Amino acid sequence: MRRDLRLALLLLLSAALESNSMSPPGKPVLLGCRSPEKETFTCWWEPGPDGGLPTTHRLYYERERLEGIHECPDYQSAGKNSCFFDKNHTSIWVDYFLTVVAFNDLGNATSDPLKMDVMEIVKPDPPENVTLLVKDIEDSPHLHVGWQRPQNTDTESGWVTIKYKLRVKQENNKKWKEYMSGTQTHFSLYSVSPGVEYSVQVRCRLDHGFWSEWSNTSHVKIPDYLQDKRPFGILVSTLCVITFIATMCILVMKRKYLKKCFLPPVPGPKITGVDFTLLKSGPTEDAINSLNQNFPLMVAWKDQMEDYLIVTENDIGLEPHPFISQKRKNRSMFSSSGFCFHSEIQSQDSRLSLNEQEKAGKRNHEIQQFVKSNKSLSGTSLSNIEQTQQCSHKQQGTIINFGITEATQQSRSHHDNTVKPLTDSGYVDIRRHEENTEEVDVKTLQYSRVKEMNSDNTLILEKENVSRPGYMDVQRQENTEGYSRVKEVEGDSMIIVQKQILSSDTYYKETGLTGFSKVGVCAELDSGYVDTIPVTHLM
Amino acid sequence: MDRNLFAVLILVYLELSMRAGTSPVCPSGQAGCHVPSLADLFNRVIQQSSRVHAISSDLHSEFEQYFFPSKNFLGKGKCHTYGIMTPADKENAQRLGRDQLTEVILRLLGAWEDPLSQLYHSMSQDQNQDFNHYSSNKALEISDMVHELRDGVTKVAEKMKLLGVLGNYVGYTIPETLPPSSAFYFNKKGEVTSMDHLVLLYCFRRDSNKVKNYLRILKCTTLPVLDC
Repeated sequence: MRRDLRLALLLLLSAALESNSMSPPGKPVLLGCRSPEKETFTCWWEPGPDGGLPTTHRLYYERERLEGIHECPDYQSAGKNSCFFDKNHTSIWVDYFLTVVAFNDLGNATSDPLKMDVMEIVKPDPPENVTLLVKDIEDSPHLHVGWQRPQNTDTESGWVTIKYKLRVKQENNKKWKEYMSGTQTHFSLYSVSPGVEYSVQVRCRLDHGFWSEWSNTSHVKIPDYLQDKRPFGILVSTLCVITFIATMCILVMKRKYLKKCFLPPVPGPKITGVDFTLLKSGPTEDAINSLNQNFPLMVAWKDQMEDYLIVTENDIGLEPHPFISQKRKNRSMFSSSGFCFHSEIQSQDSRLSLNEQEKAGKRNHEIQQFVKSNKSLSGTSLSNIEQTQQCSHKQQGTIINFGITEATQQSRSHHDNTVKPLTDSGYVDIRRHEENTEEVDVKTLQYSRVKEMNSDNTLILEKENVSRPGYMDVQRQENTEGYSRVKEVEGDSMIIVQKQILSSDTYYKETGLTGFSKVGVCAELDSGYVDTIPVTHLM
Repeated sequence: MDRNLFAVLILVYLELSMRAGTSPVCPSGQAGCHVPSLADLFNRVIQQSSRVHAISSDLHSEFEQYFFPSKNFLGKGKCHTYGIMTPADKENAQRLGRDQLTEVILRLLGAWEDPLSQLYHSMSQDQNQDFNHYSSNKALEISDMVHELRDGVTKVAEKMKLLGVLGNYVGYTIPETLPPSSAFYFNKKGEVTSMDHLVLLYCFRRDSNKVKNYLRILKCTTLPVLDC
C-alpha cells in the first residue's frame, strides 16, 4: 500500500517536474539602440529562455553626468522587448550604460552591459513621398525624382543635416545604379530611354551617421515619344533608299557613256595607209604586201614631187594597165600613190565579190574624177601630190597593188566593165620622166612604138618620142584576137608580155583622142591579175 | 643674389599672409577686395568643422580596430574638457543663446589645440613603430585644422560683433581653469600608452561633433535662412 502510494507520489512528482521544467530565466541579450533624429532613441533586447515561468524584463541604465541607476522610462512605445527614451531622457555626447534583467519566480538574469553614445547610433527613417515625374524638355525626356525628408527630422534649426542618395533600375535589368543627391530633395535623371519602366528608391543619413533603409520602390514608365516620329522617319528613310537605288540604276545603265566621259579611250597608233584589221588576222601575204606597199609609198611620197601616174583610157581599146612611169633618175612610182585601189583585190586567186565590185565602181568613179581634174590642171606639179594625198585620205589603208601578174581567168568574168585587151603589137605608152623632175607635164608623155614582138611575150619598143596627150595606140595584130598584158618592162625598150587569151567578149573601145574616158583600168586591175612589183624590180 | 633674396622674401611674405585657412579678410573694405559675407564665413567654418570631425572619427576607429578589437570597451574615462559646460541636446543649445554658444565653441577649440599637437609628437616618437605614417600625418593635419578652425570662428565672432548680433565681450572672458592636458592624458612618467591615445581620440571625436552641431545652430539662429 505504501509502496503504491510512494510510487504514485513519485510518479506524480516526476510527471509534474517533467511537464513544467521551471528554471530561472535565461540571459537576455541587448541587441542595440537607434536614434532616428538625434533627439530620441530606442533600444531592443532579445529575451533568453524564459524557464517556463512568466518572465519580465527590465532595462536599467547609468549615464554619464547623471547619478544613480535608472530604469527605462517607456517600454511600450517602441514595441515588445524595447525601451524608448524620449527627449527628456535623451542626452547627446554622453555615455549610456544599459543592461536588461529578466525576472521570473525562480530567479533573474542580467544581460551584458552595452555602452552607447547617442551621437553614434543615429539612423534616420527613409525619405517619404517619393514622386516620379517624366518631364519632356525639347524632345528629350528626363525623369524628375522628388521626395520629402523624414517627418521627425529637424533641419530648420540646423540640428541635423540630411544627405540623400537614390538608386534607379530598369525593368529588365537587375542592377541598380546609385546617385548622390546631397541635401537636395529632388534629382533629375537624364539618361532615360523611352518605352522603358524604371524603379526608383531613395535613402538618407544624418551627418555622418548610418544610412537609412531604402524607401518603397516607385515605378514609372517613360512614354514612347518616337511613336509619333516613327512614320516620318520611315518616310524619310524610304525616300533616301529609293533615290539611292535610282541613282545606282542610272549609273549602271549609262556606264558606257560614263566610261567614255571619264575614261576616254587612249588613241592607238595609226599609220596612214596601213589597215590594222589586216594585221590583226595574222601575217598574211596581203598584209605584208600592203605594208611593203606603203612603206615605199611613204618614202616615195616625200621626194616624189614629180612622180605620178596617169591612168589613161586608150581610145582604141588599149591599155587596161596604167602606165608605169619610168624614172630616169630615181625610181618609178607606182600607181599606189596616184590610185586608190582596193586592197582586197590583189590576191592571186581571189574572186571578187560583189562588194568589191561595188567598191571598184566607186573607186572608178573617184579616180575618174580626179583624173579629169588632173587633166584640167595640166602643168601643175603639185596636183599629183594632192591627188596622192586625196587618195590616201579618201581611202585609208587601201593598198594598191598592181603590176603585172598572171591573171586568172575567173576573175575577169565578174566584170562587166570593159576590159581592154592588149594586143600583141601596137603601141605601149610608157611614160617617162623628164630631166626636170619638178614638174610632170601631161604633154610630155612619151610614147614608144612597139617595134616587134619576139617570142611570145616580149615586146620590143621603138625608141622614139612621141608626145601625145596620153593615150595609147595599140594596133591589133592580125592573128590574135585576144590581148596580152605587159608582164615586165626591161630597160628602155623591152616589154615582156604575158601570153594570155582572154575572153573575147571584152573589147577596147576606140574612143579617139579625146583623152580619158573611162578608167576601166581600175576595173581591170580589180580583176586581180596585178601583182605587186617593187620598184627596183622593174629597173 | 639680390634678386634671389628678393624673390625668397616675397614668397615668404605671401606664405605668411596666407597662413590662415580662410581667405584673408580685407581690412576696412578696400576697393577690389572681396569681403565675405557672414553667411560665407559660416559656411566655411561649418565645412571645416565637418572635416575635422570626419578625420577624428577615422583616427579613432583606426585606433580602436588596431588596438582594441572588442568594441564594447567599458572605460569610464573622462575627458579633460569635462569642466566645460556644454548643452547636451537641441533645446538646451537653443536656449543657451548666441553669446554663450559662441563662447562654448571657442573654449572647446582652445582646449584642444595643445593636446592634439602633443598627440602628434607622441605618435611620431613612438618607439614601437605602431603607428603608421598615415595615422601620424592625420594627427598633424588635425592639429593644423583645429587651429585654423579656431581662427575662423574668431573671425565669425568679430563679424557678428560688427553686425551687432553678438555681445562685445564674447571671447574675452577668463577661461575656466582646466587641468593641463599633458597630465590628463599622458601620465607623469612620460610614458604614453596606446590606451591614452585612444581615450584622447575618443574625447576629441565627441568634442568635434559638438563644435559642428553648435556652429550649425549658431548659424541658423543668427541668419534667417530658409534652407538651414
